[in-house]
Amino acid sequence: MIGFRLGAQKPPDAKRVTDDVVMRFDHVYEVDPAKMTIIEQQAMPAWDTMRIVDSRWEHLDWMHDHWADHVLTAEELGMGGKEPDG
Amino acid sequence: MTVSAIADSVIDELIAILGPEGVLTSKPARYNRTRVPTPFPVHRWAEYVPDLAVLPRTAEQVSEVVKLANRHRIPLTPRAGGTGLNDGALPLKRGIVVDVKLMNQVKEVDLVDRTVTVGPGINMLKLNEQLRKHNVMFPDDPASYPCSLVGGRIGTSGWSLIGGRYGHTRDLVISFQMVLPTGEIIEVGDGGGRKIRKSSTGFQLKHLFMGHQGTLGIVTEATLELVPRPEVEFAAFFHYPSYTAAWESTGALAKSGLASLGGVVLFDEWKLRYLRRDDEAYIPRPDHVKAVVATALYGTRDEVEPAARRIMRIGRESGGTYLGDEISAGDWASRHDRYATPLHGRLRTGEVVPMSWHCEDASINYSQLPAVMEKWHAIADRYIQKTGILDDWGMFAYTNGAYKPWGDYLTEIDIGIWEQQMNEDHWRDWVNCKREIAQVALDHGGSITACHGATREGDAELVPIEMGGGFDVMMRIKAALDPNNIMNPGKYELDRAYGITESPFR
Repeated sequence: MIGFRLGAQKPPDAKRVTDDVVMRFDHVYEVDPAKMTIIEQQAMPAWDTMRIVDSRWEHLDWMHDHWADHVLTAEELGMGGKEPDG
Repeated sequence: MTVSAIADSVIDELIAILGPEGVLTSKPARYNRTRVPTPFPVHRWAEYVPDLAVLPRTAEQVSEVVKLANRHRIPLTPRAGGTGLNDGALPLKRGIVVDVKLMNQVKEVDLVDRTVTVGPGINMLKLNEQLRKHNVMFPDDPASYPCSLVGGRIGTSGWSLIGGRYGHTRDLVISFQMVLPTGEIIEVGDGGGRKIRKSSTGFQLKHLFMGHQGTLGIVTEATLELVPRPEVEFAAFFHYPSYTAAWESTGALAKSGLASLGGVVLFDEWKLRYLRRDDEAYIPRPDHVKAVVATALYGTRDEVEPAARRIMRIGRESGGTYLGDEISAGDWASRHDRYATPLHGRLRTGEVVPMSWHCEDASINYSQLPAVMEKWHAIADRYIQKTGILDDWGMFAYTNGAYKPWGDYLTEIDIGIWEQQMNEDHWRDWVNCKREIAQVALDHGGSITACHGATREGDAELVPIEMGGGFDVMMRIKAALDPNNIMNPGKYELDRAYGITESPFR
């Protein structure tokens, strides 16, 4: 088991995505902290962000399983789908 | 702290009916049953706090509570999950809240005649967890799927995300037991027979008591439809360069005639802007993406596979660009639970503030969607500028017909409200905004609500206009069944049946 690592606590620097949104991890979008002065942004360690992301996927997987035995995809049908069109 | 305007002798009578654990008079118990999730005039919270709440376990206890309320002329407000978006469970006249959450038993699973009989306090997600071992489901799927309860679904005549395939609440509830406003316990269905889906006997009482918002009694048991658990789910999301292109594609997909089609959902440009800035953003960010259409199919593999091929073909041939399997499947799974979204919004400066979610719904014919969309956003924009505490979170249009999902759409505009800043002027502005939005629905031949009900200020005043001569019939029924006006008084403008003309909202 790997114990505490300082590198796992400090999130990477943010990259700007739009005027309103920044990104520190792939596909994890954050409100631009500069737009959070009335409600201040909470400092969040990297592992906590990843925990929330993982929990989200777990929740969606759970919901799929709740509604049907199998999730059919366009890729499975041979109609593309692994990546968006275009 | 225990405070109640109800006499001690009446509380003693209630304790005799329900036991001491079934009568709640504490401040938290009462305040927690004052409001629903939708933005609320928090500056007037104290005006709506019930005098007490009761937690019955049986229909007989509910009946005795109703009879007591008639004897003492105490208002009653039924409450299930309290997740409705139009104040059905809000005690406008205080009195007693009848909370049915303890009536949450599965009483019978009938795999031969394909029904399940439950108490009104059960949640659909929890019910389906129990049904899974039998390979069947109760497929009523609101945005509040993990938290709303069967009794509330009947009270509002709810809408289901996959109603195009399986029907909506009115189609999925076969019959139910009601305690009438005078305390009698009756069974209502399509004719008689607790498990009969179609009858020509008598009036169709099931529909009379479906969507009554607690004004005609309290549901104490329901017999529900069971369907085979789907073998396969298929979701497909497409994006478009314009709203018009997406609207046309929506029409083509909805008219596909595929029996396994659960529904089609149209996201407008305002919705995409909101998703890009403030929601869990599954939607790609390029500026050329102006609208999105989502579809989902459910059923056996043998029926869903060919239907999915056809959906993919229609989506692409009607101008859509497929968003890929990850976005399609992931976003669709999140549609079953829209009460877990992060609730913040933006001021016009872009500054983030905490906001509560208001969803204003209507039933709109397909042909009218583009015009209604333009007018609703214009109204919202005007009130955003005036109040400074609102934010336009965009619109969805969902197929609305059961089994034939092509003619009309549950159309909603989501608006964020900085509730903590609310004062009386803001509240009046907000009510006027809601009323203008609802009026547009009527002006375009629609209905002011598809699934939330119309019991909140800003909607309720338009019910008599929408119903026309039917509203007189509603008042006569109300007065006949509830001679003392104890059942959820003040709702649906039905106080008029008793000669009360003052607004229940002031």
